[in-house]
Amino acid sequence: MSDHTLIGTRMPRVDSRAKVMGKAKYTADLKLPGMLVGKIKRSPYAHARILNIDTSKAEALPGVKAVVTGKDTEGVKWGVFPYTRDQQFIQVEKARYIGDEVAGVAAMDEETALRALDLIEVEYEELPAIFDPMEAMASDTELIHEDFPNNINIHVNIDTGNVEENFEKAHYIREDTFMASEESYFHAEPYAVVARFDHEDCLEVWCPNAGPHMKSKPLSNSFKIPLHKVKIKKIAIGGAFGGRSEICPADYICALLAKKTGKPVKIVFTREENTIATRQGHAMITTHKTGVDREGRVLARESTCYMDGGAYSSTGPIATSVPFLSMEQAYRMESVRYNGYRIYTNKPIRGMIRVHGRGFACGVDTQLDMIADHLGIDPVEIRLKNSRQPGDYTSTKSYVSSCAMDETIHKAVEKSGFKEKWGKLPPFHGIGIGTNSVQTGFPMGIRGGSQSFIKFNEDGEATVMSGVVDNGQGNENMLVQIAAEELGLLPEDIHLVNADTETTSSDPGSYSQVSTFVGGHAVKIAAENCREKLFKVAAKVLKVDPQELAAKNRLIFVKDDPEKSIPIKKVVRISLLNFTSVNAEGGYWPKVDMKREWVKNPYGQMCEAFSFGTTIVEVKVDPVTGQVEVLEATAAQDVGYALNPLILEGQFEGSVAMGGQGGMLTEYHEWMDGRCINPTMLDYKVPLACDMPRINNIIVESIDPKGPYGAKEAGMSIAMSAAQGYSGAVSNAIGVFLDSFPLTPDKILAAIKEKQTRQLKQENADKTEGN
Amino acid sequence: MEKIEITLNINGKPHEVTIYPNDTLLDVLRDKLDLTGSKESCGEGVCGSCTVHMDGKPVRACLTLAMEAQDAEIKTVEGLANGDELSNLQQSFIDHGAVQCGFCTPGMLMSADALLRENPKPDEKTIRKALAGNICRCTGYAKIVQAVAHAAQPQDNCCDCKSKE
Repeated sequence: MSDHTLIGTRMPRVDSRAKVMGKAKYTADLKLPGMLVGKIKRSPYAHARILNIDTSKAEALPGVKAVVTGKDTEGVKWGVFPYTRDQQFIQVEKARYIGDEVAGVAAMDEETALRALDLIEVEYEELPAIFDPMEAMASDTELIHEDFPNNINIHVNIDTGNVEENFEKAHYIREDTFMASEESYFHAEPYAVVARFDHEDCLEVWCPNAGPHMKSKPLSNSFKIPLHKVKIKKIAIGGAFGGRSEICPADYICALLAKKTGKPVKIVFTREENTIATRQGHAMITTHKTGVDREGRVLARESTCYMDGGAYSSTGPIATSVPFLSMEQAYRMESVRYNGYRIYTNKPIRGMIRVHGRGFACGVDTQLDMIADHLGIDPVEIRLKNSRQPGDYTSTKSYVSSCAMDETIHKAVEKSGFKEKWGKLPPFHGIGIGTNSVQTGFPMGIRGGSQSFIKFNEDGEATVMSGVVDNGQGNENMLVQIAAEELGLLPEDIHLVNADTETTSSDPGSYSQVSTFVGGHAVKIAAENCREKLFKVAAKVLKVDPQELAAKNRLIFVKDDPEKSIPIKKVVRISLLNFTSVNAEGGYWPKVDMKREWVKNPYGQMCEAFSFGTTIVEVKVDPVTGQVEVLEATAAQDVGYALNPLILEGQFEGSVAMGGQGGMLTEYHEWMDGRCINPTMLDYKVPLACDMPRINNIIVESIDPKGPYGAKEAGMSIAMSAAQGYSGAVSNAIGVFLDSFPLTPDKILAAIKEKQTRQLKQENADKTEGN
Repeated sequence: MEKIEITLNINGKPHEVTIYPNDTLLDVLRDKLDLTGSKESCGEGVCGSCTVHMDGKPVRACLTLAMEAQDAEIKTVEGLANGDELSNLQQSFIDHGAVQCGFCTPGMLMSADALLRENPKPDEKTIRKALAGNICRCTGYAKIVQAVAHAAQPQDNCCDCKSKE
């Protein structure tokens, strides 16, 4: 690896310059000639039948250019999967949550658009609403969607067999239930969309997305126009974190308004809309029953999880599976049974989020700590006894080729001083460890692979085309870094065209942590193919075999005699003069089990690689206020190979903030009759610069045999394990295993008080006994 | 409401604009002057994405009326660089990997720039306090804090400090 020029270096990101100068354009920054302002009218009721919508007054308001309702949608229902098509982009019959889309307007300016919304008269018949998933599941009659009995949207059942037999054999069994509230992304950029139909009747759309091709297909279906006429355009994106994976009703409404008016339309969400009407993380109730042998090895586990899915399916089958999958990847289990239920309620729609299943994951690790406590071993030991090893198959039959889970544990333990501190810290001072694993990709069927095209320009510089999108994590830099490395050019010689459905090929998108593994891989192969063409021409000029050549710093040279060289620019020009193509393509399709399906067949190769991470956290708890001061977080992840440590560290640090500091201490939603009462940044507490602890980053490399240069998912295992590390540390500090997340001061104080009361009772009982 | 004409001094240049008295400085910058570097994220003065300088002090442009800014020297993120030449702080943000999605970056830079003008050698605690009004969801702040600290004082032991060369 040492002969690389750019790969493995701390290369600063190519997109940063435009961003620090304020030049990078995000969707809300766009201005097109004649552009109108779009706004969405939303349901004020959590569950209501729509009896009539009268738009006449709104349409008569001067400055209003169009009003659209469900009547304009031809009743099209959308869903990520054929069996989850339950959502209309504008509701026709019923509104199912406070915020559901009922109409849209386009007007000359914002003020007029807002006045028009008020003039749209919607007649509702309020229906009984259900906000509690357990109540929803118990009901046979109060159905949110008529064709889903008991309001069960998705049921994932996984069973490896032998669960009962292994519980019989177990030395110790525990059953514990863990709760977690909903959380939100709070992307810096509120959702926005600009749409217009161009002179060729092509639909052009700009919006934050985690994969432009995930947006173009549903728009093509809804408008009944071919895919090549839907152009999702490249635009800077202010964060995604799992919440911008799918089509948003606003995309459709904006396009519909653009079609009706013949003008470009822009919809910019308020902060409240971004919270309520995009996606949220699922609230969940999880019961883990775990049986271990005398040494603490897990023989059997039964996990049952009830997820509050909100009003529609969204990525439901994926969301219902991923918490379990992360656990089965991280830990060996002799046998396991999982029942995951995603249940409809009259609340906003839930989707994937960076720490997906914090209640599930923290439950697994808290229970391991409980078991370790019972067996008299420490939390590190019990994890090492159960940790995933390379060459294993997961419970659902995915082969794990590269895995350095143990190394992440050992290195984090050493750096944090865990062994020296465990059991020896003063009262209300604690340390905890979390370990987890994340998929590098999901089974994506037709969209599972990525293709890249590279064209050389006559000045010796190259244009690289890739469907990979950058939500902020550094994907664009990753593509440029790989292309420049393989072509022997400098980063500034590469012009990247990406995330644009008109010019770039289909790609899985960034939401399954697969951009480097698949999209980066495709660019690498395209660049290798391009280089091969150049080498053939250069070899003739230099009178050597092509295999003797290498490329670096804009030169092609003989490896054993670097003085013997030719500029790449010259090779390109010679090629063109000799009627030889210098362009190339490359593609990568991960070898996954195409028969694997989230609900019907959750077995087989899930993806080609898995990442593994450990986070150790040290905290102090104030027993009077319940406030947690985090002293240090140590994050170690097996990333396969570090293409760019500078960017990786940023992913680790961001993961500790969102997964641990925010995810475990402050971030959750509060509700009143289905209305989210903390949808703004003022009420929803995200971590600030002054809250964050010192973070130690440890990059562990296992060199994945399939990944480009050995790389795989990087950063999300930290978001997951940070949540677990934080919860473990707080539990350790107060001497109570906490089971409700996040760990807010009220819960911490209640736990301390309960413990003190218990101790007092015990002391009194002891005294009585002594007497 | 009647429109009025005012002059705003932005990044060293006067701009005459016709506004409503209730237009915020952020709306005028973004919608009327095409200075879209300043971002709206929360719209209620919490997140700091719209931070600009008025007479060297950081203010929330979303909570400031354009009329209030008439007599001030306003500086936005577009005014930090000298033409194509980035300021040390901007370069430090790039070199230290302090920019991810970039949406909070303009506000973060303006808060940090104001701090460094007042206190050229701030310690870490001071930096974290000065940036406590700017929300970032991507970075966990570590690299931003480092970028600010090293902008004025490049560190020999920092592998990302370029200006020492």
